[in-house]
Amino acid sequence: MKIFIIGAGQVGATIVEALHDEHELTVIDLDEERLAAISQRYDVATLEGNGASRRVLTEAGITTSDLLIACTSRDETNIVAAMISKACSARTTTVVRTTNPEYLEVWREGQLDVDFIVSSEVETAQAISKTIGVPAARQTDTFAEGQVQMVEFDVTEKADSSLIGAPLREASLPPDSRVAAIIRDDSVVIPRGGEDLRPGDRIVVIGSPAAAKQWGELIAPGTGTVRDVVVFGAGRAGIAVARLLLEQGIGVRLIEASRERARDVAAELPAARVYHATGFDADFLERERIADAQVAVFAMRDDMKNHFAAALAKVHGARFTVAIVHDTPSQEVFEYAGVDVTVNPRQITAEEIVRFAHDPRTQQVVMLEGDRFEVLDITTKRDSEYVGLAFKDMPIRGAVIGALVRNGRAVFPRSDEVLQPGDRVIVFTESSRVPVVEKAL
Amino acid sequence: MSAAARAHPRRRPVLAVDVVGVLNVVGTLVAYLSLAPLLPAAVALGYEESPWPFLAVTAIAGGLGLATMLATRGDHRLGIREGFLVVSLTWLVAAAIGAMPYVFSGEPQVNDLVDAYFEGMSGFSTTGGSILTDVEALPRGLAMWRQFSQWLGGIGIIVLALAVLPRLRVGGRQLLEHELPGPEIESLSTRIRDTARRIWILYVALTAALFTILVALWATGVDDEISPFHAIAHAFTTIPTAGFSTKANSIEAFAPATQWVIVLFMVLGGINFALMYRALVRRQPRTAARDEELRLYLALLVVGALLLIVEIWTEDVVSGWSAVREGVFTAVSTMTTTGYSVADYNTWPALALMTIVGLMFVGGSAGSTSGSVKVVRHVLLGKILRREIDQTMHPEVVRPVWLNRTVVDERTLRGVSSFILLYIGIFILGALVLAIDAARTGLELSTIDAVSVSASMLSNVGPAFGVGGPLGSFAPFSDFSKLVMIALMWMGRLEIIPIVVLLSRHYWRSS
Repeated sequence: MKIFIIGAGQVGATIVEALHDEHELTVIDLDEERLAAISQRYDVATLEGNGASRRVLTEAGITTSDLLIACTSRDETNIVAAMISKACSARTTTVVRTTNPEYLEVWREGQLDVDFIVSSEVETAQAISKTIGVPAARQTDTFAEGQVQMVEFDVTEKADSSLIGAPLREASLPPDSRVAAIIRDDSVVIPRGGEDLRPGDRIVVIGSPAAAKQWGELIAPGTGTVRDVVVFGAGRAGIAVARLLLEQGIGVRLIEASRERARDVAAELPAARVYHATGFDADFLERERIADAQVAVFAMRDDMKNHFAAALAKVHGARFTVAIVHDTPSQEVFEYAGVDVTVNPRQITAEEIVRFAHDPRTQQVVMLEGDRFEVLDITTKRDSEYVGLAFKDMPIRGAVIGALVRNGRAVFPRSDEVLQPGDRVIVFTESSRVPVVEKAL
Repeated sequence: MSAAARAHPRRRPVLAVDVVGVLNVVGTLVAYLSLAPLLPAAVALGYEESPWPFLAVTAIAGGLGLATMLATRGDHRLGIREGFLVVSLTWLVAAAIGAMPYVFSGEPQVNDLVDAYFEGMSGFSTTGGSILTDVEALPRGLAMWRQFSQWLGGIGIIVLALAVLPRLRVGGRQLLEHELPGPEIESLSTRIRDTARRIWILYVALTAALFTILVALWATGVDDEISPFHAIAHAFTTIPTAGFSTKANSIEAFAPATQWVIVLFMVLGGINFALMYRALVRRQPRTAARDEELRLYLALLVVGALLLIVEIWTEDVVSGWSAVREGVFTAVSTMTTTGYSVADYNTWPALALMTIVGLMFVGGSAGSTSGSVKVVRHVLLGKILRREIDQTMHPEVVRPVWLNRTVVDERTLRGVSSFILLYIGIFILGALVLAIDAARTGLELSTIDAVSVSASMLSNVGPAFGVGGPLGSFAPFSDFSKLVMIALMWMGRLEIIPIVVLLSRHYWRSS
């Protein structure tokens, strides 16, 4: 594939590293030194110039390209670059990196002529929420910008009695969710409503974030879901994390050092409790019992501040700490300080973008049980044999559609819902059947 | 030397307020207002009474207004500063015009200057307290002028509340401004003339609707008392939640069906007119249904009515449907600051009287014709207090105050707190002065009477307890007390701040 990459910063470099072997890359950046550093290490074409300029793009041969990745640190440059290349070359798939969630929203409503948008903040927030997630779950993952959640549970004797023994269609299950698979004694059952759950089963549930949380309470009553997360720093990253957690019904306390910023955030996220304070004030931490929170997330802009605040929170007894880290070397320092999880937004963004280079139609893949099962996020083709069929009439081929995304909104289908071309579907299937499923859809 | 003084060297340099410009505006308003007595003049002619007291007012006020206008012609700088003075003076002058027909008519009940001015202020401030001892003895023309002055006062208040006070950054309305999104409402608040026109149409339509229903009740024989004359007279004073009546025993003179109709229209008069406009004309009832102020307004009306019903029923004052009707009517009439009555609550138990005084402090919605503190301020005060208590324990918590899903800015919140403090302060001062003056002149005025008179005047309700009760009159009070009451009505009507601002030295000077 011929791929254009606009922006040779940290994200761009990570993408180049992942793709340079298999694809023909052209990297465009304004900074000569950055380009030199990349061209020394990898066998890629580089071009010094403005990626958002039509002249530069056409001279570089945009019409012959298959994919354009715009990943500079400036949202507007990225969007303009993608729109220009779309106008010059309709066959080029465009992927844009953004740090502003509003662009993501606009794109989801179909108002931006860009094929895919990857938001660093949202990806980071999802990575963090995955580590916090549902405590009873073995594994959780989110799809469709956090609107759909996949959770894997072990059913035990402790599970709510209404769940055990009764056929699924009769059990009162959380709305907007379905059991995609029951894994029992090494065999997998795709339930159609008549099956029941037994202790010892392992189940995969696909549903809304709220439903996933309710499932957690059903599976392990009283173990407590995460109710109290403290987020330090109400920058874009902090807000994205807080918003995602609030959407999942998790209580969030936000600590922000700037008075003005704190006020804005309190107006933006009315469900969060916002404090105007720093994470470095031991009195404050003690008085507000910050260490009692189940999870502390450090999302300030400055790695060193995050480091100090995380260490202080640990001293005060914080149990589980997650830090956003911007520089790769900091990661080691944080781990040395006892921070439980570190998340690097640039790395996560790059990884997410790289996925598009593999198969642009499949947006996300999650592996379960090692690599026995996969959950795919696929956009249906116009000529798919499933399009136009109601869910109850679809042939079973060892795959189950847990949710679909239509016009940017998640839909948890009832049996009489009809699949339409262009729907994004979240499919659970055995890994061996992935090619069959991809072809059928 | 201020920029204004440099641009207009003939003006005194120390004064930062364009007083000449203010006089020009007030003169214009007076010239327009001088046309108002033509209506009662026509009524007087119809009933074969002398129209001359009214025509004289038209001639004198019109002449003075035009003369002022002409004498103050020229380039004027009219801004926020001048607005305060215009608003304050307008009501004083309007009340004077209101008083003139009483004096000119030679009506023995109101020919004293202070009495006439009291009646004029009570009219244009839509208060409804009266010094008349026998309303039904008034000539028809004069009685209609009394009612009409309240109707004019009401429309003045709505324009003031929806268009003028927000520009002066006072009054409850600015709280509601950003809560009405959409271009049509934006312009409704940004352009005084447009606002005034739309609201005016709604105001006239409501008045016409009430008049039609009342006349229908008369024509169908449901209520023989509410003749077209009384129907128009009460339509004039119900929509502006004003309270003057052409009957000695107020609404008690009418059939229960008429009383319920009037209850409905008093409730409507206490609703924010901009909101009502949206719900009725723009067909967006959901905005109204979600409005926090409207919800609390209706809830408080219900609570107030229930309290009164229980209190009078259990004390065996009245029972059955009469208790329900009297309780609901009195609660609605008091809380919307109308001041009609269907019963002499002077005979009601103490608990009921305290409930009535409490309701006087509630008021209707901001942007309505009602007076008093207004519900939106109570909503916000509750939220401010809740936040204060939270922040006592958690000083770092940042917690915006929300109203109808938008954040209310801190300046506005401070304004609400100071308004309520000022309101209570002036109310207490008023009660104190009235009590002292009553003692001086030997007028029988109990504590709760003094309290109720001060609250009733400041809230523009009208009747109080004791001598100033629903069937009584404020005539026995001394002239000084009447002047105090006039001041209370005036301040309450203009939401205090525009008047208090005038007392500040910084208002008059540029430094």
